[in-house]
Amino acid sequence: MEFRLSLEEENLRKVVEEFVRDELVPLEAEFVHAPDIFEGSRWKSRVKSSQDPAIQRYLAIMLELEKKAEGKGLWHLDVPEEYGGTAIGNVAMIALTEELEKTSVPFEFGNHVSNILYTCKGEQIDKYLWPCIRGEKTSAFGLSEPASGADPSMMQTTAARDGDYFVINGTKMFPTFADVADFVQLFARLPGTTGREGVTCLLVDTGTPGYRVVRSIATIAGTEPCELVFEDCRVHKSQVLGEVGNGWALNQSWLGNRRFQVGIRAHGKSRRVLRVVGELLRREPKDAEKFLGRIGYFLGELEALRLLTYLGAWKADQKLDVRSESANVKLFGTELLHQIIDFALEVAGPAALRKHHVLARVFRHARATRIVEGPSEIQRHIIQRALFRDGAGSLDLQ
Amino acid sequence: MPLYRYAMDLKLTEEQRLIKDTAAQFVDRELIGREGEYLRQGQPFLPPGDPARRDLDPAIRAELVRGARQIGLWMPELPEQLGGSALGAVARVLIHREFGRSVLPIKPLSIPEFMFESKYGQGLADGTLSLALAFDEAHKTGGLSQLQTLYRQEPDGSILRDTSITVSNAKADLFIFPAREQGTQRLGLFAIERDSPGLSVADEVDLTTDATVARLTLRGCKIPNEQLVGYEYEAGAVIATEQLNMAARCLGIAMRCLASAIEHARNRVTFGRRLAERQAIQWMLADLSIALRTSTWLTLETAWRADQDLPYFDEAGLVKKRAAKMAFQAADTTIQIHGGYGVSKEFPFEAFYRETRLMRLLFGREEELDRAAGERFLASL
Repeated sequence: MEFRLSLEEENLRKVVEEFVRDELVPLEAEFVHAPDIFEGSRWKSRVKSSQDPAIQRYLAIMLELEKKAEGKGLWHLDVPEEYGGTAIGNVAMIALTEELEKTSVPFEFGNHVSNILYTCKGEQIDKYLWPCIRGEKTSAFGLSEPASGADPSMMQTTAARDGDYFVINGTKMFPTFADVADFVQLFARLPGTTGREGVTCLLVDTGTPGYRVVRSIATIAGTEPCELVFEDCRVHKSQVLGEVGNGWALNQSWLGNRRFQVGIRAHGKSRRVLRVVGELLRREPKDAEKFLGRIGYFLGELEALRLLTYLGAWKADQKLDVRSESANVKLFGTELLHQIIDFALEVAGPAALRKHHVLARVFRHARATRIVEGPSEIQRHIIQRALFRDGAGSLDLQ
Repeated sequence: MPLYRYAMDLKLTEEQRLIKDTAAQFVDRELIGREGEYLRQGQPFLPPGDPARRDLDPAIRAELVRGARQIGLWMPELPEQLGGSALGAVARVLIHREFGRSVLPIKPLSIPEFMFESKYGQGLADGTLSLALAFDEAHKTGGLSQLQTLYRQEPDGSILRDTSITVSNAKADLFIFPAREQGTQRLGLFAIERDSPGLSVADEVDLTTDATVARLTLRGCKIPNEQLVGYEYEAGAVIATEQLNMAARCLGIAMRCLASAIEHARNRVTFGRRLAERQAIQWMLADLSIALRTSTWLTLETAWRADQDLPYFDEAGLVKKRAAKMAFQAADTTIQIHGGYGVSKEFPFEAFYRETRLMRLLFGREEELDRAAGERFLASL
């Protein structure tokens, strides 16, 4: 049993640690007033077309950081070697994200490519995968619908065969970045199928006749997910990702892939929130008396979250089934972040709800994390299903 | 430079797996196999009054101890020169975790390594001497910062100030007793023999668990220098070891509870549906499994830290706190799912419930451990 990183992973972690210290931490004051859109990777959205000089200034900083990170070999980290990437594992990726989350400057390494695009075949590789790796194209993920969110097996969008084409009809809700993306990874079902059967993933280019992004929807978290309408949208069969009727497995692997990152990000954000609370309490000894125990409690829970995340990432690297682990991490992490930010606001008071206050920012962000990519209730469902299927022994040590 | 020869590997080593499997087989066959007999009510109607305290038949206990000793499970810390294998913390955690799965009141001895270097080493090794911790004052905070008992060093020994504390093993031959030196506040650990002049143990009473406590009183006790067996670090290690062992036992308890709850929920039908199909039941068990998983890995990581000579005392407190709370919740949930059987003494769950409630209060109350962690955090900013 060994909990340390390997030499390569540790060296990489140190590079990131230095990058955070030298490049990001000095920008913290600057980013206090940045709009929410600069959280995470969202700045890659419509920000680029904005005329607002303040937004342009932040954008310039971000692009400059991108160059610096690329210069240090911190780009294409999770891209497979055959596509010119470093192909680091899940554990290493978690360790790097843990370092990145030590600063409030919302920067992340790229280019993350939607993991299911690695199933691209033939011409799809040059048309979609390579441009995404190079950062020339971006994608959106079209799964949810007006009447099917947590349970995507209820999707109604259809893709009907017509010779060499599929004719798509339906509406997709909440794909983020669809308004600026070059194409959407669209999930639709073959007519007459139900449930998980017949689900097919198609790559649909922006501008394809019959495909319209009808609006973007503002949310509490600063993201602007879109509504997509497909009306007799004809797409050639060469645009099918993977196999016809095999789309269910793709959407599940896309969802599962991200949950360990969600866990370590919740961990890092929570640690930063507790630091803010801690600094406040050092100036208010009387308050400190009241809240010390709660802080200690949350710190312990965060240790649990951190370890749970590494465990899941390690298992994923071992190619073990991590459906239950990723549900554990998503549920435990996002619920804990929610509890911690809720507590932090109690300590800090109404001033912390000023729009650009770091706690207010986390507060808005945290609420959405308990829903996107599978709400807490679905995670509990996944966990109990595995528990009743595999028994308590599935938790035993290997 | 730290050693980075490794890559993260969360599998058990061959040796750890062997120890775990050995312990698991022993617990399944010898302990859980005897539970039916242990839990069975002797007669259809009990005489009026409180039921008698349950304990293992002494002959069966002796047989189990012999069996566990033979396969190296009884005294994990026993050094090689005394015939043991001086197991590390991870291995000890694996053993205590397996023993936790059974409700039989028997668990491996936990004897601090330094005691084997004292003059009592041989007696402890061959089982002619029994040892108890007299760490009553550590239960509140999980540390010895509030230790009241003082001692005064003299050339031929230490004079302990008169005191009276609670101990949990009234029959022990030896007590390890912490005290602070008057003036210097230096902590000393004393091994005090039961028949030392000035020591008395009295007033043994039943706890709500199937254990007892008694009053240990010191009046004019003078302890020879050779019985000063440790200092601050040793005291910290004793506490951390107890916390880790308790956490490990709690993991075992929760594993047993979870397995039983799943089994019962799969079979029991209410209003035409199995309990397993009810979301109220599913979610209780889902939440429990998360808590069990996180506590399992925190416990293992902390034990691993101990084996790597990394700091682990604070971590041990956290691990104990979480695991005990989790196991209590596990017992509570399992009782609820079993309904009337859950609270009956013919099933193990009510005993787990009582035992885990006590463990939550030993070597650090939750609030105290949380506060201490919060204080350390604030001081670190």
